[in-house]
Amino acid sequence: MYKSSSPASISFKLLVLVAIFICFVPLFPALLGLFSSAFAYLPALGLKQFSLLGFEQLIQWPGLFESILLTLLITFSSTFLAALLSFAIIQSMWQSKRWKWIETLLAPILGLPHVTFAIGFVFLFSPSGLFSRVVALLTGDSSNATWSLIHDQYGLGLIMLLTLKEIPFILLMSLALLKQLNLKQTFQTAHSLGYSTKQAWQKLILPQWLVKIRFSLFAVAAYSLSVVDIALIIGPTKPYPLAVLVWQWFNHADINHYTTASAGALLLMLLAIFTLTMIRVFEWLVVTKWRHWLTNGRYSLPLPGALSVYICYGLSLLILPILLLWSVAFRWSFPALLPTNWSFSYWIDELGYASETINNSVVIALISASIALLFAIVIHEFNVRRSRRKHSVYIPDILIALPMLAPQISLLFGLQITALLVPQPHYYLWVLWAHIIFTFPYIYLALNGAYKSYDKRLDNVALSLGLHPLKVWWKIKRPQLMPAILLAWAVGMSVSLAQYLPTLMLGAGRIATITTEAVALASGQQRRLSAIYALLQTLLPFIFFLLAVGLSRYYTNKNNQQHSARTN
Amino acid sequence: MKQGTIMKPILTSLLLLISSFTFANQSDWQTVTDKARGQTVYFFAWAGSNEINNYLRWANKSLQAQYGVTLKHVKVSDVSESISQLVTEKIANKNTDGRVDMLWVNGENFKSMKQHQLLGAAFVEQLPNWEFVDKTLPIDNDFAEPTLGLEAPWGVGQLVFIYDKQTIKQPPTSFVDLLAYAQQHPGKISYPKPPAFHGTSFLKAALLELSNNDPLLYQAVDSKNFEAISAPLWEYLDKLHPLAWQKGDQFPANGGATLQMLDDKQLDIAISFNPNEVISAQVNGTLATTTAAYAMQAGALSNIHFLAIPWNASAREGALVAINFLLSPEAQSRKGDLAIWGDPTVLEKQHITGSAKETTLFKSIPEPHPSWQAALEQEWQKRYGH
Repeated sequence: MYKSSSPASISFKLLVLVAIFICFVPLFPALLGLFSSAFAYLPALGLKQFSLLGFEQLIQWPGLFESILLTLLITFSSTFLAALLSFAIIQSMWQSKRWKWIETLLAPILGLPHVTFAIGFVFLFSPSGLFSRVVALLTGDSSNATWSLIHDQYGLGLIMLLTLKEIPFILLMSLALLKQLNLKQTFQTAHSLGYSTKQAWQKLILPQWLVKIRFSLFAVAAYSLSVVDIALIIGPTKPYPLAVLVWQWFNHADINHYTTASAGALLLMLLAIFTLTMIRVFEWLVVTKWRHWLTNGRYSLPLPGALSVYICYGLSLLILPILLLWSVAFRWSFPALLPTNWSFSYWIDELGYASETINNSVVIALISASIALLFAIVIHEFNVRRSRRKHSVYIPDILIALPMLAPQISLLFGLQITALLVPQPHYYLWVLWAHIIFTFPYIYLALNGAYKSYDKRLDNVALSLGLHPLKVWWKIKRPQLMPAILLAWAVGMSVSLAQYLPTLMLGAGRIATITTEAVALASGQQRRLSAIYALLQTLLPFIFFLLAVGLSRYYTNKNNQQHSARTN
Repeated sequence: MKQGTIMKPILTSLLLLISSFTFANQSDWQTVTDKARGQTVYFFAWAGSNEINNYLRWANKSLQAQYGVTLKHVKVSDVSESISQLVTEKIANKNTDGRVDMLWVNGENFKSMKQHQLLGAAFVEQLPNWEFVDKTLPIDNDFAEPTLGLEAPWGVGQLVFIYDKQTIKQPPTSFVDLLAYAQQHPGKISYPKPPAFHGTSFLKAALLELSNNDPLLYQAVDSKNFEAISAPLWEYLDKLHPLAWQKGDQFPANGGATLQMLDDKQLDIAISFNPNEVISAQVNGTLATTTAAYAMQAGALSNIHFLAIPWNASAREGALVAINFLLSPEAQSRKGDLAIWGDPTVLEKQHITGSAKETTLFKSIPEPHPSWQAALEQEWQKRYGH
């Protein structure tokens, strides 16, 4: 290991400190700011006494209770459905003929940003959307549908969208997990005991899978609970989900709503804790407490796996064409199936002006993803080193994952309060800072697998040959990790490019990105323009993913070549 | 002769005085434009319409070319958001380097800015283009709130309705008729959800008609008589909502949404605050060429929208130059161009060129006292908002 006083060791420790200072330390004032403002203590705004004013206003808000119920309904049903259908897909398709294309299409479908998906979803499922148009054509009745999945009262559209959008995520996370489970042997044993493959999936694999997928379900639930951007586009409006209400209070002209918003942000945080606890309890009930169902005989539930994957993939693949159509539609009135007049003028006009917005988005993403990547590597290294010694302090996973699991608006509330204390406004710095905080956990997790599977003996051999630790990292470890590092960086880029609230709240509205524009245009109902921004929003991360995939192929080949040269 | 010799020196000195005055003004303005050069003005403005956004892009280009001032449109869905941010800065004592340089406001928001002392010094008379402004318009009052030169008029808004002549022969021209129309065509009428600007305006216009223009609506709202005066409105809405789009369970998000829904044949009547929006929407393909705008028989709820500068603006000079430019005959003629934005001008007609000249306004109904806005929005939220 490093000698404790070598310059390399000192600079490494310094980097660890900087990473901790930027990524984790702000979470404490953020939580502190959230608590103090919820209890109406806001010295910067002249409120210098703790009180329950915010909570009183919150409770008096007409429809708060319905809003909480609705929020929980959306969260639990979308998380449950996404988990169930993902498992159904794995169970019925795993290693089947079609599994290959399920895996191949996973990345591009997963890469579709939520906001893009939501805008496309509106174009498909609004009462005048493509499906209504098809129905009108088939039935010959062009009077409007009275149902709607957009802004509908029970959030059915939002639940459907969240479910569809999270299935690919859970599938991806399951891929790695399933490789850890000893599937082949499990099936052999099950078959020899007279259980079918399907029964083996449900009685043997499901309990193991559920435990291992826990963290991903936490992330899905936390996201569904606190999402604002897509809830604004398709979520219910009567009542609004709680996160949207908090956002509206925060923006309200009457400054008294600020304390209501703070109390609401804290309530959202408590709901998040409640939700994650309930998921854990559910898992415990299914796997441990009520495990009777695992041993009570040979039956299995029919799960619509194939249908789920067709619907999920089919709809996801329809999103881009419908966006493209609207972006070049000049006249497209209801119930025409296709535009009656076409025009590229919206593209031509907009691209001239969008360059600055694209520029903003890319620069912020490049800087924040690169810094967050550096920090993620540093913290990984730190934890690796620490884990070799017993009883030493390391950075727990829960702290790293906090920005993923806590409602974003609640954390931002606290960060915003902290930012108010700084006299000079530095909107760019604040936005970058927030992006680093929120991209960091994704990058860290994306590196997890590579770090876990890295063969530490390589390091030991190199070190024992007298190579400098930094050189060991750069010459031996980095090339091995490079494919994972590149992909993690692309993940970070796409997370940063998709940020809505952090950009808006800490940039004071002054900093416009592709995502903030897309959401603003979508809620302003400007279909052609929001289609253009939704497409741009998809294109940007896609470019960086392609770049990362290309480079990581190059590194993999190089590693393999070196490997084969050595073995030859 | 004698008289003339006395008059002459007085006249010359008077002329001198005037010219030195204008000269002083000019040099003052010169200082402003010098300081403004290189500044970036963050203009917080409603961004619900593509026409407006494109117009502001043009304004930015011209300002950069002519004055070296960059105009950045900060797109907000409701300018009240920016006002809460300003209040935050006021209480936090952030008296310089504010985040907002210029705002597009009127009515309730202007009143609240005045109340919280969020406006700097009066500035309108300092603007060289002030001389072109049509002073016969009610520009010194904003929803009955004296403007005192703290905001400059920018355009005229009128609450109008848009329909498709192919769908409706005779559109309903009163709120009573509108209810009758909804009875015959259930599910085809709605209005934007208050507190969206167009939605609250719909409420105000309806209440004015239903209360027979109660003069108390032009005074500050009083909690004692609010119930009695507003009662006919709630009675009306109780009848309208079950017949409205989605049975009143949902409302369009804003005025722009109603235009899209008119094109989608979800609604039969859309709402706009710009009598010419229907024309630019036809030019841009968002509405059919068979659509037309009309006002209620009693007239159109009318107001003037204004531009204001917060007390802590970081680019005050830039904002002054930008506002002055937006009041120039060039900028106002373009703003009024029917194919571009069509917003009626605040300048005297003789300075206007192009199609903006052809705009005719509907008979106007003045806005109620601004305090009614918050009161109506609150009551609406209580009754129908959840």
